[in-house]
Formats: sequence, structure tokens, C-alpha cells
Amino acid sequence: MSLIADEIVRFSSVLRISYNLLTGRDYLKRKKFREKKKLISVALPFSDLVYGFPDLVPVFPIRMHQFEMHKYLTYLGSASGIFGWKTVSNFLGFIKNLGIGDINKIIDEIIENVIDTVNKKYNEMYELGIENGVPTDFCYGIKSLYGMHVSKGKNVEANLNYTIRCSAWNKYLESLKTIENPAKQIWVDVPPRNIGNALELLTENLYDGIRELEKISGNNYDRSILRNHFQVANDIRSYYKTILYEISTSDFYPCNPATFSEILVILNNSFQDYNSNAKRYRDNMASLVKEMKERIRNKIGMDVHNMPRILITPMFGGWEPKSHEIIYELGGRALYADWDVLLLLEDIPITKVSDPVEAYAHYLMKATTNGIGCDNDALSDSYLRIAKKINADGLVFIELFGCHSVSNCFSMLKEKIRRELEIPSISLTFNKIGENVEQVKTRLGAFMEMFR
Amino acid sequence: MDNLELLSEYTLFLREKKQEGKKVIAFISHDNIPEELLAAAGFIPLRLIFAGNDELMDASNDYLPTSTCAFVQSCIGLFSLKPSQYKFLDLIDYFIVSNHCVSDICASEIISKYFSISRLNFYVSYTKNENSLKYFKLELLELKKKLEKIIGTEIHDEDLIKSIEKYNNLKKKLLEFSSLDIKGSEKSKIFQKAMLYGPYFLPELESYYEKYINFQTSESVNSKDILLTGGSVFINDGLINLIEEGGGNIIFFDSWVGSNYFSQIFESAILESIENPYDILVHRFKNNIYGDHSVPNFLENKITQIEKIYQDHLKKTGRKLGIINHIIKFCDHISIMSSHLKNRLQEKGIQVLNLERDYSRAIRGQLATRIEAFLEMI
Repeated sequence: MSLIADEIVRFSSVLRISYNLLTGRDYLKRKKFREKKKLISVALPFSDLVYGFPDLVPVFPIRMHQFEMHKYLTYLGSASGIFGWKTVSNFLGFIKNLGIGDINKIIDEIIENVIDTVNKKYNEMYELGIENGVPTDFCYGIKSLYGMHVSKGKNVEANLNYTIRCSAWNKYLESLKTIENPAKQIWVDVPPRNIGNALELLTENLYDGIRELEKISGNNYDRSILRNHFQVANDIRSYYKTILYEISTSDFYPCNPATFSEILVILNNSFQDYNSNAKRYRDNMASLVKEMKERIRNKIGMDVHNMPRILITPMFGGWEPKSHEIIYELGGRALYADWDVLLLLEDIPITKVSDPVEAYAHYLMKATTNGIGCDNDALSDSYLRIAKKINADGLVFIELFGCHSVSNCFSMLKEKIRRELEIPSISLTFNKIGENVEQVKTRLGAFMEMFR
Repeated sequence: MDNLELLSEYTLFLREKKQEGKKVIAFISHDNIPEELLAAAGFIPLRLIFAGNDELMDASNDYLPTSTCAFVQSCIGLFSLKPSQYKFLDLIDYFIVSNHCVSDICASEIISKYFSISRLNFYVSYTKNENSLKYFKLELLELKKKLEKIIGTEIHDEDLIKSIEKYNNLKKKLLEFSSLDIKGSEKSKIFQKAMLYGPYFLPELESYYEKYINFQTSESVNSKDILLTGGSVFINDGLINLIEEGGGNIIFFDSWVGSNYFSQIFESAILESIENPYDILVHRFKNNIYGDHSVPNFLENKITQIEKIYQDHLKKTGRKLGIINHIIKFCDHISIMSSHLKNRLQEKGIQVLNLERDYSRAIRGQLATRIEAFLEMI
């Protein structure tokens, strides 16, 4: 991990995003108790509507937890408040270059902590989900999410629920009502297909959701606020896609490929609620892209032209986080692009559609028809589309135990990959983080042999 | 009549209908598919209500992971292996891909794609509000359009109304039949056959009813009364026999193959008051609050429903009902709520057995033990 830590510490924007991800609890406490804002629970990247209300704060529930954060990251956070993140980051890089053993160790520990502490918390939530009645047959994501609500659901005013094609997901959302003192549920029904005036119905359903949010907020919906947020959200998507398709496909990386994978993991996690502050997140994403480009321009980083690009997907419902390190050690570079597979990195078309709610309905409907809600034929086409876009040399498919939706189309996908892409692919089964690392190593070892 | 006989009879029935020029539309059975519309267009609706076994489940693993609902695994297996008694599956012309659950989508899609059966779509919203009812109507009209394109002629409203009435009569008779005091296994066979044949079965059902009404066996005196909820018991499944061998008798079938089907009756007032037949079907969708597809009140509705049946039964017979919640392995809908359903009902003094199983032979002994232990407790 030390090489990864060494690289991340030079990206102040990554440090900021990580810090914001991990210190959500303090941030949210401040928002809730001092600023009297109300928290709304969201999951998957469905937080945008909440941003239409400045006194509501969307939160992906794991962020309400206290993470076992390295004490020095706390100090860094405090120092950044005084000196600014960039200064702190430069200082750390300088110290690291001096090669002072103990400090190096501390910095490594900090970064390792960022990555591992989130995964450790996920596993804790997974166990809590099972203890509280989620059958073991369900996927890692659902068990963990239920656990998050058991432990922290009491802090939110409402859960914003969107129906998607995954029946386990929809039922899981209903099951949140079984938790003691459940939060209010706000449902937005997304019509399964775009037929007739389905788009209009979805727009009305979104307006119903907005009316519910209004009741919690106590303020009226203001379309200009939502519209402005959608602009921010589109900027975020644009930066995200620049990282995915401009930088990840280049032959020179601004850091080593394992670090790059780690950054993609952090983005995948934090994109769901933009770390509860979309503008701050947008600014950090802008800095990240700028820092990456600067480093590439200055030839700081790593030549990766001979390292095969391996797309690992789907991973948002759970996957073995050691995978990218293993692939890196075996000479490859792992890329994660789930949100674009599911078409959730598409623009919200506010320039084409004047009503922002209707624009969001267009966005959701597109994702439903061809991304997160489509059938396996269209979904497997999405995997192919992304594999092509990132020029993948190989594809690792995560068969998530208990997932009956997005990770069960490998047979169909494999056939298409063979026919259309002619690249190697492999499926890895996953149940829980850390449970099967040796097997993952063996399977990936055999897989990566194909690129030698 | 054993299952082999039923399947062989059904094969002859379908062949006969095909010779008459009818086409067959199959679907993974669920409670929101408008079979009346299919029938009004002159098609034979074929519900896949067949239980699985090891071979069928294994055969599906070429297409879906093993952690897939055992029922849909078996549905795929039926098309992959085509066991001799299921040769009638070759007579299917169209397959409806629907979204009762995500496994329904995936399996239907696979069946259509890999076994070269033309696909039709019929999707249903998860929530019940004004807009989801409107959406349901959109789907109905979309399906109508597709069916009309296939048959090359318009489906007249009068034909749909007649079809609705026919199915309504069948369901009314099934409801009457369900109240007979006979063995659950006998009831179940009749329910299954009725759902397979549709209104064609009505004359036979009437004669069964006449036969049984005079020969009610007072099963309930010698056995423990059971309400079966959760997953359906399908054709060729030995679960009911296990329950009966253990000393239980299923009084209420609270599942697709059972009350969820025949309780969806339209009162005459509704049929008379709603002019547009598609609105009648929408009305049914609206009232189908006990079906497991819908959110967010499935659990609450189910608890209320079971408690009412339990109390009514207690009042009427002085006997307690045991609840067996039948969970087909990897079923998203039934499984996730199972522990909550059990806890909530047990708090009300109603005993519940969450019985999870797939269709493997090896599990039979374990199921028998669990059922016997539960029945002893009642």
C-alpha cells in the first residue's frame, strides 16, 4: 500500500475528497444541530433532488458513522483549515521526499486508513444487516445498507426512494420501515419503460417527491435552485468522465495505476451523495482533473502504455477491494466505471429542457431504459459500450452473490465479448470483503497470464 | 389425477387448440398479467406454474448464477431440457417478459432469447398511486397494440368484456370451491388445473364442486389447520404432501396459485359501472394490495390480511391456524420480509414457520422434519 499512499498524498484534491468522505459525521452533525438542517438518506447516485432544498442535506448513510480515522488525518484536516489543503499536501510530499521513516509510515498509515476504514465499516454494517433480519441470500450491498439504517437511520428525516428494476432493492427500501422509529419514506416511482406519456408520469412523480421534501424542509421548491444544482451535478459528471475516458485511456498516468484505481473507488463511493456538499465536491473534482493534467503535462507519474487496461465491473454492490492491487502487481491497471455503465454519468439535460424536474425525468428515464433499469440484453451492451470506451484489454466481471439484477448476465456478456470485442474476460464471485482474497489472487493470476 | 396425467391431458388440449389456429402466449405466472386480454385476442395464455427439480435447476446454470430463485431456475431448465411430459412447451408462440421481480425479467428474457420465442413486454410499476395506475393502463394499451399487430385485427372492447366475465366466473367458482372442507392437496390440484386451462376448465370445475360438496371429508377434525402464504406450490411439487403426511392440512392458499388469483373477482357493480374494459383491469391492479410485487405497504397489508383470516377462522371453528410462509430459495420478494412477518405475527400469538427451500430432492427430509416439528407445536 505504501506506493499508493505515496501517490495519493500528492493529490490534495483526493485528500480533500477522502477527508470529506470520512468526516461526514462531524460535518453532518454540524449541519443538523448547529445549522438546523435536515438529513435525507439516499443511496445509489440519486441525491440530486434533495439539493433543490438548501436546508436539506443528502447523505449516503455510511457517512453518518464515526470512522476509525487515523489521528494524523484529523490533524491534517485541522491544519488544512488553517493553511489550506494544497499547502498541507505539498508539505507532506516534501516530508515524504526527505525519506524520514516514521513520517513516511504515518503518511502511509493515513491513506491506508482512508481506504480500509470504509471497507471495514461496510463489513460491520453487513453483519449488522444480517443480525437484524436480512436473509443471508441477499447481496452485500443490501445487507450493508440495511445495517447502516439500523445503526444511523434515526438521524435522518426521510429516505428518498427510487424504484428501479431490482426487486430486492425495492423490497429492501420497504423493509427499512421495519426498523424501530423509521424515517419517513418518500417514494419516486420510475416507470419501467418509456412508453406513451410515461415521461410525463415520471415528472409528476418527481413533483410529488418534491412536495414531500417541501413538507420536511418547510420551504417552497425553487426551480432556479434545482436548476443551478443540476448545472453543478453536470459539471461533476463531466469531470468524472474526463478522468474515466481522457485520463484512464492515456499511456501516461499522473500516478501509479493502483493509485488511479483507488481514486476511482473513492469517486465511486463519494459520487452517491457528493459528500453531502455538491459545490465543494464539484470544486474538488475540478482540482483533481487539473492536478492530474498538470502532472501528466510535467511528466510526473508513470508510463503505463504496456499495462493492459482491465475493466472491473459491477462493483458498486460489493467487490473485493484488493482486486486492483492484485492486478497492478500482475502488471495491469484496473478501472472502475460502474456509474457510467448504468448511464448515471449522463448529463441532466437542462439546456434542452426548460423545466429542471422534467429534465431530471429525462435523465432518469434514459438510465432506466438503457442503464440501471434495462433488461440483460441492453445491460450487457452497456458493459460492452464502456469496455470499448476505455479501450479495455480485459474484463473482470463481479458475480455478486445474491444479486439477481446487474451481476447475473455474465453468460450473455461473455458471448458478446467474445463475438464483438475479442478480449479475455473472467468472472469472480464475491460475498464479503476479505472473505476470498486468496481465490481472487489465484483467479486473477491465471487471467493476467493471458496478457503476457 | 396425478401430475403426469394432467400434463399429458394439457398437451392434448394445447395441440387441439393449435390445430384450431390458436397461438400460445406463455409467461412466468404472476398476478398482474392480463390473461383476459390475451384470451380476448384469441390466444391461449399459458402460465408457467411448474415446480422444479435438481436437473431443471442445474440446467439453468448455463444462463444464470446458482444464487437465482429456484423457481425461475426451473422455468429455464424446462426449456433447456424439455422433459418428455413438457413437450407442449414447443407449442409456445410468444413469451411475455414482465417484471414481477427481477428474476422474472431475467428468466423470461433468457427463455425468449435462447429458445427463440418471440417476445412481448408487460411491465408493472412497483408502487400504487394514481400515476402507476395510469402507467398500468399504458402497458395494457401497448400490449393490446402488439397483439392486434400479431392477429391483424382489432381487439373489440366487447370481446375483452366477455373474456373478463369468463375469467370472473371461473374465479367465483374457484372461490366457492376453496371453501370446501376437503384435503388441501385436492384443492391445490384443482387450483393448478384451473389456472392452467382458464375458463375452459369451468364446466369441469363445476362438476368437481358438485362431487366434493357431497363428499366433504371433515379433514380439519383430524389435522392441524394451515394457512400457506408466500411462494406458490406449483404443479409437481411434493410440499403439500409433506405437510399432510406430517398431520397438517392447508385450509387457505394465500399465494398466486390460490386466493391471490381467485380473490380478484369483480363485483357486478364494478363491471356495470366501468365502461372501458381496460379500466376494469386497472381497477383490479389497484385493488391487488396483497400481491408481493407492490411496495411500500406489502408487509403491513399481509400482516393485516393474515391476522384477519386467522381471527375469522378461530371464531368460526375454535381452532388455531398455523402459518407456513413458503420461501422459494433466493426469492427477493418473500425472503426479505420473512423474519419481520414472522416476528410481527408471533407478537400477535400467531405461530409461523418460515420454510425456505429449493427444489432439490436432498432437502425433502429436512423439510419434513421442520414441518413435523412445527405442527407438533400448534
